[in-house]
Amino acid sequence: MIEFYNVDMTYPNGTTALRGVTLSVAKGEFLFVVGPSGAGKSTLVRLIYRDLVPTSGFVFVNGVNLAKLRPKTVPYLRRHIGVVFQDFKLLPRKTAYENVAFAMRAVGASAREISRRVPATFELVGLAGKEDAYPSELSGGEQQRVALARAIANHPLVLVADEPTGNLDPATSRGILQLLFEINRRGTTVLMATHAKALVDSARRRVVALDRGRIVRDAERGTYEALRA
Amino acid sequence: MGAGAAVGEALKSLRRNGLMSAASVATVAVSLFILSVFLLAALNLDNLARTIESQLEVRLYLAEGLDDAALEDLRSRLLALSGVTEVLFVSKEQALNDLKEQLGDRYSHLLEGVEEMNPLRDSFRVFTLGPAWVDSVAAAAAELDGVENVGYTHDLVQRLLRLTNALRLGGLTLVGLMVLATVLVISNTVRLTILARSEEIYIMRLVGATDWFIRWPFLLEGMFLGIAGALVAGVVAWQGYSWAVGWVYRSIPFMPVVPVYPLAWRLGLVLVAVGGVVGALGSLLSMRRFLRA
Repeated sequence: MIEFYNVDMTYPNGTTALRGVTLSVAKGEFLFVVGPSGAGKSTLVRLIYRDLVPTSGFVFVNGVNLAKLRPKTVPYLRRHIGVVFQDFKLLPRKTAYENVAFAMRAVGASAREISRRVPATFELVGLAGKEDAYPSELSGGEQQRVALARAIANHPLVLVADEPTGNLDPATSRGILQLLFEINRRGTTVLMATHAKALVDSARRRVVALDRGRIVRDAERGTYEALRA
Repeated sequence: MGAGAAVGEALKSLRRNGLMSAASVATVAVSLFILSVFLLAALNLDNLARTIESQLEVRLYLAEGLDDAALEDLRSRLLALSGVTEVLFVSKEQALNDLKEQLGDRYSHLLEGVEEMNPLRDSFRVFTLGPAWVDSVAAAAAELDGVENVGYTHDLVQRLLRLTNALRLGGLTLVGLMVLATVLVISNTVRLTILARSEEIYIMRLVGATDWFIRWPFLLEGMFLGIAGALVAGVVAWQGYSWAVGWVYRSIPFMPVVPVYPLAWRLGLVLVAVGGVVGALGSLLSMRRFLRA
């Protein structure tokens, strides 16, 4: 579903964020990308939804070479990818419902489809009843659930989450992680970049560790830090 | 999205960004109002110039006691001169009446007592094809029998023409500069409202909205801002101009002014067009930097 081949990423200011990254994520898989700040986690995530184009190497999503994507077709790629951020990135002047409905309208969903699917999505993320609240009236955990509802409203193939629990307390974080598992169980490939050690250790899922732009570890049922024998 | 949805989206967004929208409308209104003042001034300068030019005529003051046959003879001779389009006879009684009318009620008392011993002369007003013909017609007419005096001076005509041309050029230049300034102010105002929401555009792109899906509501929003400002400016300019025209009629009755109607409607249309188009283009241009995928 997601393939990185020998990807280098150097920003225009000269900072090199990724070096020789090769990574393959199968359809339906769940994985954590871990590492200290500046290791390149966010860069890796941004390459997937083509917010960035690699300096060299290739990124494939769902079999499409992103480097060859024409700018006009980028929106259509993004419709297959849900994105969630640490800071939620909700539209502040739209209600929770409108934030989700907007994402659906953007991809051409009909009004009937929207009014049918948005409530179901709110049900799934556990926010039924909060539809009319504005983001500022919701707690951090609730805002992240709205962001998740928005990310999955179009049934994406892939969900990428960049530090989705970075602003949340441990209990709320666990709730968000459970939700990501649930989304994954329904067939969506989920990639979560995080440095929340406790979450990663409790989950025992695939862990890819980055350090200074290189993949230093890739373990099935892994932990945040390498286990020492 | 459909047109209706885009309009709804734009209106909703204007309402929710209330303070920013109000500030933008006010800015647009002020700049369009200033443009209106200059435009109205320029139109009146042109009108004044035209009036002055149309009054460029050769006035022939006639000898006393010409009979009807002599007058008719003189008239046909004048009409035969090249460049002459019309010849009007003005009796001295009529001339006095005209003068009274021109002075208006307020100053007509100046003429009291003059009426019994009218000091004015019978005259011909000779109109020409244009200012360029005035010189030669005046010279030829001066030679004719029965013409006592030619009310015309070469220098005056030339000076008048220079003045009217300067008035027009000045008016046009000022209006041109004001249009430029207005366009810059409006497009910059719209730009600021969009820059304030760059995050919103980023999110729209993130969820897979196409560029045009994102553009439409912003474009309409810019257009609505421009039109709203234009309506405010138009109403203020219309009321202000009506008042100004009324004042001029009362205080300087012989000063030519462009009547309020239909000028007010045309001005309104121009303002709405300028506001709408510049608002829409301004938002389109300022979005370019956000919509490079």
